[in-house]
Amino acid sequence: MTMEFRHAQLDNGLTIVAEVNASAASMASGFFVRTGSRDEQPVVAGVSHFLEHMMFKGTKRRSPADVNREFDEMGANYNAFTSEEYTVYYGAVLPEFQARLLDLLCDIVRPSLRQEDFDVEKGVILEEIAMYRDMPRWRVFESLMAQHFGAHPLGNSVLGSPESIRALRRDDMMDYFRRRYSPGNMTLVGVGNLDFDAFVDKARAMCGAWEPCRADRDLSPPAATGTHQVLRDEKVAREHIGLISPAPSAQDPRRHAAHLAASIAGDTTGSRLYYALVDPAIADEAATAYEPFDHAGLMFTFLTADAENAPRALTIAREEFRKLRDEGPTDAELAAAKNKTASGATLKGELPMGRLSAVGFDWLYRNEYVPLAEQIDQLFAVTRDEVSAVLREFDMTAFTSLALGPVEAL
Amino acid sequence: MAEKFFIRELPNGLTLLGQPMDNVSSAAMVLALPAGASHDPPECAGAASVAADWCFRGAGERDTRQLNDALDSLGVQHHESVQSEFLLLSAALLGRNLPETLDLYADVVRRPRLEDKTFEPCRALVQQDLASLEDEPSRKANLLLREKFYPAPLGRCPYGTAGSLQALTADALRKHLQGRFSPRGATLSVAGAFEWEALLDHVGRRFGDWDSPAAPPVRPTPPAGGITHVPKDSAQVHIALAHRATIVSDRRYYAARLAATVLSGGMSGRLFTEVREKRGLVYHVSSHYHSLKDHAGMFTYAGTTPEKAQETLRVTVTELRRLGEGVTDDEMARARTQLKSALVMQGESTGARANALSSDWYHLRRLRSLEEISAAIDAITPDQVRQYLRDWPAANFTLLYIGPAELDTAAVL
Repeated sequence: MTMEFRHAQLDNGLTIVAEVNASAASMASGFFVRTGSRDEQPVVAGVSHFLEHMMFKGTKRRSPADVNREFDEMGANYNAFTSEEYTVYYGAVLPEFQARLLDLLCDIVRPSLRQEDFDVEKGVILEEIAMYRDMPRWRVFESLMAQHFGAHPLGNSVLGSPESIRALRRDDMMDYFRRRYSPGNMTLVGVGNLDFDAFVDKARAMCGAWEPCRADRDLSPPAATGTHQVLRDEKVAREHIGLISPAPSAQDPRRHAAHLAASIAGDTTGSRLYYALVDPAIADEAATAYEPFDHAGLMFTFLTADAENAPRALTIAREEFRKLRDEGPTDAELAAAKNKTASGATLKGELPMGRLSAVGFDWLYRNEYVPLAEQIDQLFAVTRDEVSAVLREFDMTAFTSLALGPVEAL
Repeated sequence: MAEKFFIRELPNGLTLLGQPMDNVSSAAMVLALPAGASHDPPECAGAASVAADWCFRGAGERDTRQLNDALDSLGVQHHESVQSEFLLLSAALLGRNLPETLDLYADVVRRPRLEDKTFEPCRALVQQDLASLEDEPSRKANLLLREKFYPAPLGRCPYGTAGSLQALTADALRKHLQGRFSPRGATLSVAGAFEWEALLDHVGRRFGDWDSPAAPPVRPTPPAGGITHVPKDSAQVHIALAHRATIVSDRRYYAARLAATVLSGGMSGRLFTEVREKRGLVYHVSSHYHSLKDHAGMFTYAGTTPEKAQETLRVTVTELRRLGEGVTDDEMARARTQLKSALVMQGESTGARANALSSDWYHLRRLRSLEEISAAIDAITPDQVRQYLRDWPAANFTLLYIGPAELDTAAVL
């Protein structure tokens, strides 16, 4: 399996990167746009995500139905997603559809934003917000981010509120689009069995005339609030608890150590939280994930437990974090975390869709390409001291917490 | 890229299925034990889910932590799922770690410790899974629907009931598992980076002398069906409905799959277009085909706020029925491409391939190549789809919805 990295840039600033693998059965491609809820003013809260939906609603050349139909005519596996700091549009197809997929992807990211489509889609967004209202875990995540980051824009809601969505006008969205979807703020990524020269030619023909503009981001460092909150809701059956603490950023060389620290602390099997909480059934879920952001980072832990066990679960989690910080991981724990992470990356790397996000985010955050083998080497090079240092420098016991459910106080 | 398949039925009843793949370094395995939820004794519903956890709480020479550590140090990503017929033990790993991983799984299924002290937390976790369904109404609606739709106990909720879990004892479960963790009717499917001969040897050594009595088959009783409203003060009404479809081993199976793809494949599918794109009634609406060995259905779900629920149900059912009027040539062409392209993309994943081997053997007692499936999809004509939909119309719905709004179902169904 030979991989070749290719790179090109158009005069207007659009970057094109690809990991070509001639032995793959499919190819995937996507636009990685450096924009998300952290780039929104409060008055247009949710516009990044709403705009992502509107990208499937047609262009000068295509009606909304055309867009969906053409993706399906290629048998594409396609979708889009929006986070606090990026918006991604992607499709995976058989190699014969490379040109058609690119034609469609490059076209839809220059949308018409027709008023009637905007009005119908507003209803869909409001339904999506209602859907998440029925998911306590999501409510915890969203409220906790706002609580942890305070006024910092990383605390902005990705979906927005029913009020902000109802108030949003089509022209506000067009204005946001013009400011954020500058070619210099976007990266076109390809992976798998693709012809790179044809890829670039097509991109140039489709995107070469896009006007660039400045699209800055407020990168001021966030301050964690470290506050604790209990939201009582008797309609929620179980107690859902979220814990957030600061962690290395996506640009920080300590990110690999942070990733392993999260796995040791709270992977879904064999971790400290697993043995302390799930194995004895004090909580049925206890998981920690490391979430790197642009010049910021988080450790995010999620617990669910019976109302009766919730206070104990929280106490135990804090105690496990303290012990891990004070004692550091064992060699066996570190080795297991490396093996699990490496085999996860290998499995993901065997599918073009899995590599697409790795290649895209490496470029988006660090302007670098890291082959899978090198990524695994970097991981195995992390020492116990480095993991211990991250655990001390980013103290997981200093968390911001939010509990949602039947419990009155924790 | 010609596919290579291997099948070996061991004398003790275990069937080994293999598909070595080029250009991958991972391997995926699925061990399907005839210990699914439908085999739980009625008074012990939920037993399979407890067993799925319990068998990893120490096995052979290793206690819980040693077993976990051994799996972790091999980088094994494992997960267990309880289906109607089978308890599936699935693992994904680097191919070079396959022999050692199989050693661990031989312990898990042949020499699980099943100690009294580890039983209680396993049961408590399933009780919590059951309680958690209250906070996941869409999942709950789909699970309850299956229970109503399939002949009992084939669609049984894998978590049992509060009462059955409370009544379950370690002794009862140990006794039940004697006939269920059995090579008779079990399959072990492996896809990815491995050599067949070496695998066969290794499996022969670790599983060849495994023996256990066969358990009696399940005798299903007619489904409850009907219309059920589960009141809940939720933000959305979670509407789940099902109607009958033909089974995988039927010659009209591919016509059923093409019909399902026209209805709900991709974003140009009829349901997505009519319910979401044109009317903005929902965020999620979809329909999927699901088959057991002798029973199958089309399962449709839509989530919407109470004031839009009646209209959502009406438009959804209208589309399910309108499909019976036939599909266009364009829709057929699109559905063919979608199904075939999904096949190729899944063909790249060792996990998807291992699951496909397991499922083909269960439904068909043979393995299908991607080429065979592709040719079968191409051979279906719009007339065959129309005929299929006449024979298996969207009618006699089983409906279950969770939410605050009472729906006027008589007006729609």
